[in-house]
Amino acid sequence: MPARTSRPTPLQRPDRPYLALGLEGSANKLGAGIIKHAKDGSSTVLSNIRHTYITPPGEGFQPRDTALHHRKWIMDVIKDALQKAGVSIHDLDCICYTKGPGMGAPLQSVALVARTLSQLYGKPLVGVNHCVGHIEMGREITGAQNPVVLYVSGGNTQIIAYSRQCYRIFGETLDIAVGNCLDRFARVINLSNDPSPGYNIEQEAKKGKRLVPLPYTTKGMDVSLSGILTSTEAYTQDKRFRLDGAESDSEDVVTPADLCFSLQETIFSMLVEITERAMAHIGSKEVLIVGGVGCNERLQEMMGIMAKERGGQVFATDERFCIDNGIMIAQAGLLAFRMGHCTDLADSTCTQRFRTDQVHVAWRA
Amino acid sequence: MFSASSNLIASAELISQGAEAKVYKAQIHSNTVPILVKHRFRKGYRHPTLDASLTRSRVAGEARALLKCLRAGVNVPGIRMVDATEGILGIEWIEGTCVRKLLPGGAEAETELSDADTPPFTGVDALMGLIGTEIAKMHLADIIHGDLTTSNMILESSQSLRLVLIDFGLSYHSGLVEDKAVDLYVLERAFASTHPDSEPMFSSVLKAYEVRMGKHWTSVSKRLDDVRLRGRKRSMVG
Repeated sequence: MPARTSRPTPLQRPDRPYLALGLEGSANKLGAGIIKHAKDGSSTVLSNIRHTYITPPGEGFQPRDTALHHRKWIMDVIKDALQKAGVSIHDLDCICYTKGPGMGAPLQSVALVARTLSQLYGKPLVGVNHCVGHIEMGREITGAQNPVVLYVSGGNTQIIAYSRQCYRIFGETLDIAVGNCLDRFARVINLSNDPSPGYNIEQEAKKGKRLVPLPYTTKGMDVSLSGILTSTEAYTQDKRFRLDGAESDSEDVVTPADLCFSLQETIFSMLVEITERAMAHIGSKEVLIVGGVGCNERLQEMMGIMAKERGGQVFATDERFCIDNGIMIAQAGLLAFRMGHCTDLADSTCTQRFRTDQVHVAWRA
Repeated sequence: MFSASSNLIASAELISQGAEAKVYKAQIHSNTVPILVKHRFRKGYRHPTLDASLTRSRVAGEARALLKCLRAGVNVPGIRMVDATEGILGIEWIEGTCVRKLLPGGAEAETELSDADTPPFTGVDALMGLIGTEIAKMHLADIIHGDLTTSNMILESSQSLRLVLIDFGLSYHSGLVEDKAVDLYVLERAFASTHPDSEPMFSSVLKAYEVRMGKHWTSVSKRLDDVRLRGRKRSMVG
């Protein structure tokens, strides 16, 4: 795509190597990562440590308990990250933390640690938008230049494209996020939350054969997912439903695997469709998938087929960078820091509501 | 598979690939005016059952909506042929320019960015008026477009200014104020994301819409304000 790469990038080559620590804890993943931007313009991931708060099957994670988990583990995670990277905290140029969006209590616990470290060691703070973190890390890892971004996770579902120093939201969910929809259905059929409910749905769906009719609700470039969740849940009350998954030749049955399969096929079709709509609208041929749901291989496969049909290309990352992590916060934070952006102590708050398009993307042309 | 429809496609000239269909310029008989053929080809990523039912209902739905618009006097292309199972819809060929390309910021692949001072098109205000009026005519006939963007409008290149609405693939029939307000909101978002500094443009669209809608405007306007407050993670301060 002959995009605005023709314009000079405002980001100067670093005059010396830069190091940043990124701290992430907006949901049930606690992450710390250290990134290095070298003089030749390349970046290296020195460490990327994550600790996930896993709840028993049938339960979601509550803000209070999640915050407790983060407080208990954060020192270990940071020490681990520094040790793996082989750097001292004194070597860092800045400390980046997630400002939002996310759950209030977990965000606050992590921001408090970031502030304390910044004061103790005299390091500047950089508050980062979580969604921009995902996008920047995805761009860095895959090398995608100016893609349409599908950001799908437990709390977000957005179609994003860059224009004039802003990541503009072209489409999004009108109600719940896609990860939330999958996680909640996993709870209904009592799937394990280890390593993640979405992963277990994906495995279960591989065994499913039958596509049950579900609502298909794309609205322009937006989608609505809450009704699909309700309809899928309703099948579990149907008299054809067999929770044990036992198939029968004589009877017409619906198994949990069938429901996982149908749910995935339907909502992923909707996501691919709105992505295609956005690509057609802005004339882009690249797609980048980021966010926790982005590591679902069926979604990647479907997106790949769509991109191929359009003569385009799909970029995706694996679970290290898809699922929430500290390194993406470090990457986005360091880009902002190199453009001279810092967050003063007085402004180092967090917010549950922080839209992707509120960020001034100073580092892109 | 040798049907009349597939033969038609085979002899047609591919013009573009839109969001969900391939668009061809075709001729039913030689030496006649061309028609536009929209082929919703099979989507490899979609489950075959889901794909077949979506394709069928969308082709039929689009044809139905176009017919209703034609009866209500909304400027839309006329229908020439329908083959729902094959996913083929043939409509009148409209000669003109896509509205997106006429407005600043919407040009192909956004390459123009640096020469922002060259919008050659001057009748923006009149154009916005036409858009507002056409949408109002459509809404008065209880048809919801479902995908209003500046890409889905064509300014005909005849002498008189005539704006044609296209792509009714996501349209449906509804008399609800809610649906009309959401339809407008979709367009507002499309304006904002495609054309920088579009607020004055969109407000002149609404002005023309208001005039045409008459007494129905108040309720739609109120609902539009509500709809704007939706969406996730919006700052609720101030």
